[in-house]
Parts: sequence; structure tokens; C-alpha cells
Amino acid sequence: MRNIIVTGGSRGLGLGIAERLATDGFQVIAIARSQTEVFDAAAQRVKAAGRGALQFHAADLADIEAIPALVKAIRKEFGALYGLVNNAGLGTGGLLSGMNDAAMAQLLRLNIHSPIALTKYVTRTMMTQKGGRIVNISSIVASNGFNALSVYSATKAALVGFTKSLARELGPLEITVNAVAPGFVDTELTSGLGEAGYDKIVRRSALRRMAEVEDVGSAVAFLFSDGARNITGTVVTVDAGNTA
Amino acid sequence: MTSRMADNTEPSVRSTILDEIHRIAALHNKQLAPLTDALPLMESGLDSLCVAVLVASLDDALELDPFAEDENLAFPVTLGDFIQLYENAAA
Repeated sequence: MRNIIVTGGSRGLGLGIAERLATDGFQVIAIARSQTEVFDAAAQRVKAAGRGALQFHAADLADIEAIPALVKAIRKEFGALYGLVNNAGLGTGGLLSGMNDAAMAQLLRLNIHSPIALTKYVTRTMMTQKGGRIVNISSIVASNGFNALSVYSATKAALVGFTKSLARELGPLEITVNAVAPGFVDTELTSGLGEAGYDKIVRRSALRRMAEVEDVGSAVAFLFSDGARNITGTVVTVDAGNTA
Repeated sequence: MTSRMADNTEPSVRSTILDEIHRIAALHNKQLAPLTDALPLMESGLDSLCVAVLVASLDDALELDPFAEDENLAFPVTLGDFIQLYENAAA
């Protein structure tokens, strides 16, 4: 069974992605600070389905110095790594002029530095086996503005630049690197939008609804499928036509 | 992965590095120059990506990554310097 790491895989979007990949037959190692009841329930569903597996490995991804040892420990426990989904991130919002500097630094650390460092050490293992897939979870706000999300948007745009250049770097080694840019998906991160904000997003979407976690999971699953072997360096937008 | 020697002793750092260079060159269809200590790495026939693969595979084979351990380290120019760096890290 091929191994895929999904960061932030214990709840919300990350758990949806992890469960979908596990259901498709991969062994998914979800990394998060702590295991959740919803994760346990998903792991049971995967087990009952009888194809893949959903495992948990506790780690604080903000501790960047610990990332090399984290990757080594995961390889030792589960074996060679085929894939990585960089999903973990903070959704901190707020007007730039009023944002706390420490909160900004934490946002940059967890949303940019941490996934780049993790990718470095995971791709080193892929390089020696000549093959692998990486999916970075960006956002439509990387390319379309949204009030009070400037720093978050900057982090998500950074992941797109990272994706495109790394795709060129790792292509000769049969490693694909892509990004998925969800629109506003109904998760804990968007629960702060309020009813008016929710309605506005739905009104502006071509399909008059919000994308769902399952839609993002499907896009990521496609990028891990055989059908996506010639797709690298691209961004798949999943937003129910919000930016159409 | 480098195989053990006939007398069952651990292969030397030097022989592991040379074995890995040959393996990676074959895997990536690269023609190697004669491997001498004075040979500049970038003239060995390996391109920069192959050298990155070499460093990654040596991390597996020797459990050593001198570049991660010293962030001020300049990348060695010759094959001899490269081997010396790993021999020092192993010592």
C-alpha cells in the first residue's frame, strides 16, 4: 500500500482529504497535534471499507527544527513515502493595520515555512525512489482578493509559486507537484464568516452554492490517480464557480 | 543501498559514496568521468539534480547529512572534498 502524508489531517478539510485517499486504497498518515473523535470515526469507516488505511502521527508542524526527525520517524514506522498533501495551515484573518505581529509571524511559519521544510525532507525520500506526488492546498484568495485576508492570501499565493517551481525541479525524477485552490468550503475555518458572508459567497458563485470538503477530496484524489500522471505544476480550483 | 563487503565488515564511507555515484549515474543515464579526488563534482557527469539525489541517498545509506548539520558549510568543489566532508562527519 502506498503511503501518503496529509498534514492537518485530523479534522475539517484535511480529514476529508485523508479519508478520501484512504478509501481509494492508500495508507494515509495524518499529521496533527492531537487525534480527534471525528478522525477515529473516519478511521473506522476506512477500516470497514477494507481497502486503504488511515493512521495518525502526532506532531506540531510549527516546530520546524523537528521536521527532519518527524519524517525519519514516519518512514521508519510506515515505510517509503509516495505522497504528501500540505494542507495544515492557519486561517487567521484581520485588517493588516491591526494584525498582531506575532500572529502574522505564526501564520507565515505554519502556512509557508513549515510545508516547505516538510516537502524538502519528504521529497528527499521520493528522490531516491524516483517517483512521488505532492499536492499543496492553496486557496482562491491566492489569486482573488478578499477583505481582511491579506496575510493569509500571501501565504496561499506563496504555495502556488512554490508548486510551479518545484514541479520543474522534480519533474525529471517523476515527482509531480500540484496545488488545489479551494474556494470557501464549509469548515471550521469559514464558520467565522457569518450568515451574511456565507450568502454573499453563494450569490457570487456560478453554481449558487459553496464547494464542499468532498469536492476538494475528489480533486486531490484525482491528482494521486494514474490519470494525473502527466499533470504537474498546475492549480486545480474547486470553488463552485466563485471565481469564474 | 550499498551491499556489505565479503568479509561482512561495513563498507567505507568512500566506497559507499562511489557506489552511490555509479548507481545514480546509471539510473539517470549519465556518463561519468574517471572518478578521481581532484575531479570537480560538476564535471563528474552528474548534474545538480543528480548531486541532490546523491546527498539524499547518502542520508539513507550512511545516515549522515553534513549539509543539514552545518548551515554555513560551503558545498565542496571536488570529489575528494566531498568524500572528506562525509568522512569527517562519520568520524
